[in-house]
Amino acid sequence: MNKTTKIILGVVAVVLLVWIVVASNGSQNNSEIKVGVILPLSGDAASYGEPWRNVFDMTAEEINNAGGIDGKKLVLIVEDGKCSGKDGASAMEKLVNIDKVQVVLGGSCSSESLGAEPIATRAKVLLFSAVSSSPDLTGKSKFFVRDYPSDSAQSKVLAELAIQKGWKNVAFIQEQTDFAVALHKSFTDNFQAEGRTVSKEEFPKDTADFRTIIAKVRAGNPDAVFVDVQTAMAGERIFKQMQEISWKPNLLLSDPAMGDGQMLEKNKVFLEGAFGAEFVIDPQNTKLQHLLEAYKAKFGKDVEYQSYAQAIYDQVYLLKDGIEAVGYNGEKLAGWLRTVNNWQGASGSITIGADGDRVSAHSLEIVRSGKAERVIE
Amino acid sequence: MDYLAQFTLNSIINGALYILITLGFNLIYGVTKFVNINHGAIAVVGGYTTYYLFRVLGWQVSVSIVLGVLVAGLLGLLLDRIVFRYLRENKSSNVTQFIASLGLFTITQSVLAIVFGSQLCSLMGDGPARPYNIFGGFLTSVHLATIISALLAVFFMFLLLRYTRFGKIVRALSDDEEVAKIMGINTGQVIGWVVFIGSALAGLAGVLVGFDLGIYPAMGLIILMSGIIASIIGGIGNFYGGVLGSIILVVIENLGMVVFPSEWRMAVAFAVLVPFLIWRPQGILGKK
Repeated sequence: MNKTTKIILGVVAVVLLVWIVVASNGSQNNSEIKVGVILPLSGDAASYGEPWRNVFDMTAEEINNAGGIDGKKLVLIVEDGKCSGKDGASAMEKLVNIDKVQVVLGGSCSSESLGAEPIATRAKVLLFSAVSSSPDLTGKSKFFVRDYPSDSAQSKVLAELAIQKGWKNVAFIQEQTDFAVALHKSFTDNFQAEGRTVSKEEFPKDTADFRTIIAKVRAGNPDAVFVDVQTAMAGERIFKQMQEISWKPNLLLSDPAMGDGQMLEKNKVFLEGAFGAEFVIDPQNTKLQHLLEAYKAKFGKDVEYQSYAQAIYDQVYLLKDGIEAVGYNGEKLAGWLRTVNNWQGASGSITIGADGDRVSAHSLEIVRSGKAERVIE
Repeated sequence: MDYLAQFTLNSIINGALYILITLGFNLIYGVTKFVNINHGAIAVVGGYTTYYLFRVLGWQVSVSIVLGVLVAGLLGLLLDRIVFRYLRENKSSNVTQFIASLGLFTITQSVLAIVFGSQLCSLMGDGPARPYNIFGGFLTSVHLATIISALLAVFFMFLLLRYTRFGKIVRALSDDEEVAKIMGINTGQVIGWVVFIGSALAGLAGVLVGFDLGIYPAMGLIILMSGIIASIIGGIGNFYGGVLGSIILVVIENLGMVVFPSEWRMAVAFAVLVPFLIWRPQGILGKK
């Protein structure tokens, strides 16, 4: 055996050893149920990812302290989807092929879910989202389910408001993400008729300079501006630069902006009277009250993005019920979730339709003194 | 608001930022002859240093800005001393130096992300700067500071390069490093000073961007990309070319956004660049 052959054999042996170690780590331990989670943990959307991760961790801990699932410990393997399709897909590949999970909770951003879905479908792994709301995900795959409603409900509520206000021309400042694109499309479908028009200026993720976009939109003299952003931070930059040219149009906000209490408070003068539509939050719901109290006790602060947090909390408990009913199998769980009817959680009554979407609606909200208030019609 | 006035003012603001970046980039390129991608990260380091001193530690704004600019200059110098000087002495190719700068860019960006997070940090704090109406368009105090800084930088650099011995040496070095060495010039020392000044100018741009738009670690490439395109259009390594290229690029970008949808902004910039690369790669004022 010459030196080269020895080196090649050595390399092969090391690779095999690493592969065996990784594969054995990825296989399920009998006392644990490993579930994947895809969240944005870097970039602008990390402002969501971190508090959502807290909700996941807290809920899993709560379940484990109460005896786990069928006596097994729930272990969450969290991956950074970076709010992008590419990274959502990479995270999914890792969870499916290395960690060998049967269920992935996520993606969070719609782009993550759209990127991860083909891999989930191919591997017959359940992709269960509590956040992704793009209408493009409706009926996408029998392995995709969400306990958060589609944005078609959000845009419908806001389009109806715009029509009721008599606005003829709504201008979008839209981020180039799957979520924001779908929201624009859905709003246009609901609004654009009888002489009403929708114009649009798009911007890539991480854009900082909106000056010329805002000047261009303003020159079009729209009746209202729909700030269609994936993250509240992008919205905040737009609001700041609108103020720098002393412009305060009628504003419609996508729910990532509307749901960010801190951002609304910081910009309360400028955003007074802005409209948005969010998934319903019922402050009287006892499970939601428990979530809010437990979160504050554990993390020392209030739950951010409550409409999403409540859906995440319910999602983990739904998964627990599902595993106890049909076992830890992605295909069976995807089918079981579609039978969920009037399941009571922190986000209210949950019914999942045959298309995998939650059957529910958004409510119209208005910003008053830095807070989003539900508009009672 | 006058639409044309606002577009013109936006062009002037962006043009001022491009000039600050291009001045430093061209100055360094002139003596080192490679595209230093890390120049963008140096700009962001300047912004973050000021952010940390001013917003986190609560130091005076003027002191924080001066230190932000100095730290950017010193970091540029330090990296040149410990990385690029050895590559030059080893006669490494431009491609090797370019890849080294790309590596340093990635490291710098990652360190910033670990220390400060990936989210946007604004040196202005929560509220917007106060707007002033100028001929129907609006400018803020930050924009005025940016424009004045760019004008002062151009004036200072013009005087330095045109009327001082140091300027003559830099120009000689830009023309031919070997001849400059034969003439007894300590080229290593001069390159060090040039890198320090160019990096400090990038730091100033980063600080101003931080006050105007806010900064995040990955912003360096976006800032630098416009600077490189402007340099190539005007004449890479040429002081006047950089200024001219910045003005041309910003006018075309903003006109492009009037005609085309906003998302085409960078595409318009590259569409302008390609013909230059084909037919006049040395740029408008560059020598063949």
